[in-house]
Amino acid sequence: MQTDEQYDDLTALFAETDEALQNDVFVKQVMQPIRKRVRWRAPLLFGAGGIGVGAAVSQASGLIDVISARTPTVEVTLQPVDVTLYETIMAQPMWVAAAAMSVLSCAAIIAAERA
Amino acid sequence: MKPDYDLAREAASGQEAAYEVLVRRYQGTVRGLAHRLALNPAEADDVAQAAFFTAWRKIGSFRGGSFKAWLCTIAYREFLQARRKQKPEIEFDESAHIISFDTSAAALGDQLDLERALKTLPENQRICVVLCVASGLSHSEAAAATGFPLGTVKSHVNRGVETLRKRLATHNVA
Repeated sequence: MQTDEQYDDLTALFAETDEALQNDVFVKQVMQPIRKRVRWRAPLLFGAGGIGVGAAVSQASGLIDVISARTPTVEVTLQPVDVTLYETIMAQPMWVAAAAMSVLSCAAIIAAERA
Repeated sequence: MKPDYDLAREAASGQEAAYEVLVRRYQGTVRGLAHRLALNPAEADDVAQAAFFTAWRKIGSFRGGSFKAWLCTIAYREFLQARRKQKPEIEFDESAHIISFDTSAAALGDQLDLERALKTLPENQRICVVLCVASGLSHSEAAAATGFPLGTVKSHVNRGVETLRKRLATHNVA
């Protein structure tokens, strides 16, 4: 059976050719788009994350009030969804849209990274 | 010299400088592989570039072992993808693999002779020889990269090396 050692001479010849292919221009061509991507990736992720956090914080106080006001009712009996919670959220549709967009952006970026 | 694994970990954490070291270290191997596999020399560097981009995207999935084998596997898959996009009329014709040597190449030295001899091998043999002999992958790494059974890889490499030696010898005598 053939072993790896039996073609070392040919491997060395190929390696010499490979050595001659070393080229800074090629490295530049590879690295330029990668650097661009790295430059955009962090601001994009942090931007999307920031929007999401902002949206969540802006909604938190209102939601806590609504939830704490409704909690005793929920403990006693299961009732149909109260429209107050829905109305509170829908009163600021821009924030809801921003939060949804940030979640979608993060999901898209993660999906692209893992593809 | 920093080990490949450490550089790959740093690259995975977003340090492009670490990845650049890897690109410099393996550009010859990947470009050589692409040039030997690609039918059209102009597409070879595109395949090599695509391989490095894909490797950058997937660097987080590198779990150790031979980085070169991992990278060559990606390059081989990029070659297959590029070939699928090619028009059918320029696909490799295995029945036409015996190509006579251009005698004017005699003065261009052993390296060029070897590259030319390589192009005369049937495609699957050529793929196995390129991966194992030229790129230095083990038979099992080449089997994993190509999906060929290990015995097939060994047999292709044996026959390919034998043919290359015969042709080089004939050429050197002539």
